[in-house]
Amino acid sequence: MSMTAAPGRTTASRGAEIWREVTHHGLFWPVVALVGLLLACGAASPGFLDVTVRDGHLFGQLVDLARNSATPLLLALGMCLVIATGGIDLSVGAVMAIALAVSLTYLDAAADPSDLGTVLTAVALGLAVGALGGAFNGAMVAVLGIQPFIATMILMVAGRGIAMLVTQGQITTVSSPPFKTIGSGYVLGIPMPVVIALVTFVVVAVVVRRTALGMFLESIGINREASRLAGVRSRRTTWTVYVIAGALAALAGLVYGAPTMAADANNIGLMKELDAIMVVVLGGTKLDGGRFYLGGLLVGAMLLSTLERAVIIFQLPSQTTPLFKAVVLIAVCVAASPTLRAMLRRTRRAVVAAPAPAEQVAA
Amino acid sequence: MSADQLVRPERPATSVVHRARRALGGFDRRMLPVLGTLLTLAIMLGVGQERYSTDRVDFVSMKLLSNLLVDNSYLLVLAVGMTFVILTGGIDLSVGAVVALVGLAIAQMFTAGLPLAVVLVAGVLIGTICGLLIGVMVQVFDIQPFIASLAVMFLARGLANVVSVNSLKIDDPGFSALAAWNITFGEGRTSWRINASMLVALAVLVIAFVVLHHTRFGRSVYGLGAGDQGAAINLMGLRPARTRVWVYTISGTCAGVAGVLFALYTKSGFNLTGIGMELDAIAAVVIGGTLLSGGTGFVLGTGAGVMVYGLIQVLIAREGLDSWWTRVFIGAVLLAFVVLQRVLAVRRR
Repeated sequence: MSMTAAPGRTTASRGAEIWREVTHHGLFWPVVALVGLLLACGAASPGFLDVTVRDGHLFGQLVDLARNSATPLLLALGMCLVIATGGIDLSVGAVMAIALAVSLTYLDAAADPSDLGTVLTAVALGLAVGALGGAFNGAMVAVLGIQPFIATMILMVAGRGIAMLVTQGQITTVSSPPFKTIGSGYVLGIPMPVVIALVTFVVVAVVVRRTALGMFLESIGINREASRLAGVRSRRTTWTVYVIAGALAALAGLVYGAPTMAADANNIGLMKELDAIMVVVLGGTKLDGGRFYLGGLLVGAMLLSTLERAVIIFQLPSQTTPLFKAVVLIAVCVAASPTLRAMLRRTRRAVVAAPAPAEQVAA
Repeated sequence: MSADQLVRPERPATSVVHRARRALGGFDRRMLPVLGTLLTLAIMLGVGQERYSTDRVDFVSMKLLSNLLVDNSYLLVLAVGMTFVILTGGIDLSVGAVVALVGLAIAQMFTAGLPLAVVLVAGVLIGTICGLLIGVMVQVFDIQPFIASLAVMFLARGLANVVSVNSLKIDDPGFSALAAWNITFGEGRTSWRINASMLVALAVLVIAFVVLHHTRFGRSVYGLGAGDQGAAINLMGLRPARTRVWVYTISGTCAGVAGVLFALYTKSGFNLTGIGMELDAIAAVVIGGTLLSGGTGFVLGTGAGVMVYGLIQVLIAREGLDSWWTRVFIGAVLLAFVVLQRVLAVRRR
C-alpha cells in the first residue's frame, strides 16, 4: 500500500510545498485582500473596474485609486526606511503641512507665481524644509539617542504650530498653474502624482537595493551597536534616513496640496502618519525593524486607497474611515504576532492529533 | 564599623571634590531631574511675579494656584496615568483621542436621557476599555506600545467621528450643577476657589502616589522599567505580565476620568478636542522628572510638571502671543527636558 501511495504523496507534497510557500509569502494576504476588495467594489458599483481614455488621459475609478495612493506611497517609502533602522517617524503629517505652507507662502509673496523658476524655487524650498525637519528628527535619534517616537512626536505636534506661524494662522491660497500641475497634471495620460510617486519609488528602490545601503539599514535595525562595530557608520546612516523621510514627506505634502493650492496648516496631512505606517505594515514589513520590503508598499498603498474608497462605495459615512483603518492595523499586527502564530499552531496540532491515526495516513 | 566600610575600604579624602561628593552622599541622585523641574517652576514664577504683578495684586498667589489646578485638572489626571505607563518604559499615544471620545459619548448619553451616575461611570469605563485593549495588545500580542496605542488613538478618533462630527452641548442639570459647584475663599481680586474637578485630580494624584510608592504593584511598575523584559521582577516573585496590562488599563481609566473632567470644563463634547493632548501629558511627565526609558521618576514630580505646563500657557497668554505659539513652546520645552535627561543619563554612566 505504501509503495503505490508514495509517488502520489510526493507530487501532492510538492504541490503543498508550493502552496505553503505562496501562502507564507508576506504579500499573500495583502494581495488577497486587495483583489477581494476591488472585486467587492466592482460588484457593488458597476463600471468600477473600467478604465477609459478621454482626451488622451486615463480615466476611471482605478486611476483615481492609483492617484490617491501616491501620497501614502511617498510617505510610506520614507517610513519604511526609517522602520528598517528600528525607528519610526510620527512627524510626516506635520512635515507635509509645513512644507506646503512654506511653498505656498513663498509663491504668494512672489511677484509672478506662475513663473516656472519661481515655482521650482518654491518646490525646492518645500523639500528643503522637509529635509530640515528630517535632520532635526535624525539628530535627536542618531546623535542624542532619544527614542524615535518621542523625538518625532515633538515635531508631530509642534510642527502644526510652526505651519500656523508660517501661514500667520490663515489658509494661504495661491493661483499658479505650473505648481498645480504637480497635483493635477498628466504625463502620457498618467496622472502626475502617480508618475512622481512611481519615479521616486524606483529611484529609492535602486539606491537602496543596488547599493549596500539597504543592508546597512537592516543591520542597524537588528543591532545598532554591533553594526557600528562591524564598520557601518550607523549614526550617519540613521541621520540620512530621517532626512530622506522628511524630504519625501514634504514631496507628499506638495503633491497632496497642489490640486487645491490651499495651505491649511491645521488639516493638511492630519492622521497621515497612520496611513504611512499602515502601508508599511500591509506591505509585509514588520515594525520591529531589521527587514523591509519595498515592493509590498505598492500593494499596501493601493490597498489603503481602495479601503478608503470602499467605505464610500458601501455608503458608510466617510468620517468612519479612521475606524476601519485602525481595525485593519490592529488585525494585521495581531495576526503577525508570534503569540497568535503559536496559539494557532497549538490548536492545529491538537486538531491533527485528535483524529484516528488512519486519517493521518490518508493525508 | 559599619557594613558599608566592610564592603568598601575607606579611602583618604584628599580633594575638595571628593569631600563634597561625600557630603552629598546622602542625596538621592534620582531627585536631580525633579530639582530641575522645581527650579524651572521657581524661575517662571519669578519672571511672572516681576512682569505681571501690579501694586494691588501679586502674580504669585492662591488665585494663580487655584486657577492652574482648575484649568489643568484633566491634564493632571492624564499625566498621572501616563506616569504609570512611562515608568514601565512604555507609552500611551491614545489619551487625547480617548478624551474626545469620552466627551462625545457622555454628551450623547445625556441626550439619550441616561441618569448622571450611569453616564459618568460609563464615560470612565470607555477609557478603561481602550486602555485594556492597548495592554492586551502590548502584553499578549507583543506589539510595540506606541503602535498599539497609536492604533487605539485612531480607533477612538474614528469612533468619536461616528458619534458626531459636530460639537454636542451638554445641558443636563445635574452635570451643570457639578460643573458649577465650588467653594470660594477670600474677597475680590485675591479670591480663590476649590471645585469638583480640582478635587478629583488631586485625589487621583494622591492615590497614584500611594499605589506607586507603597504597594507591591508599584514596585512591579518600577521593576518593569528596568529594561530586562521583567526578568528581575520575575525573580522577585512579582507578576510582570499582569502589571503591564494593568498600567495601560490605569492610563486608559485616567483618560476616561480626564474625558469627564474635560467635558465638565467645556460643558460639551467635540470630536476634534484633545489633538496633541498626548504630547501635553507626556511633556508634563517628562518635565516632572520621569525618565522616558522607564524605571525612574516620581508621580509628585508629574504634578510639578503639570504646573510648569500650565504656567507656560499663562505666560504666553499674558504676553499676548497667538495661541499656536503654545504648541511650539510645549515642543521646545519637551525637547529641552528630553535632552537634559540624556545628558544626566550619560553623566551617570
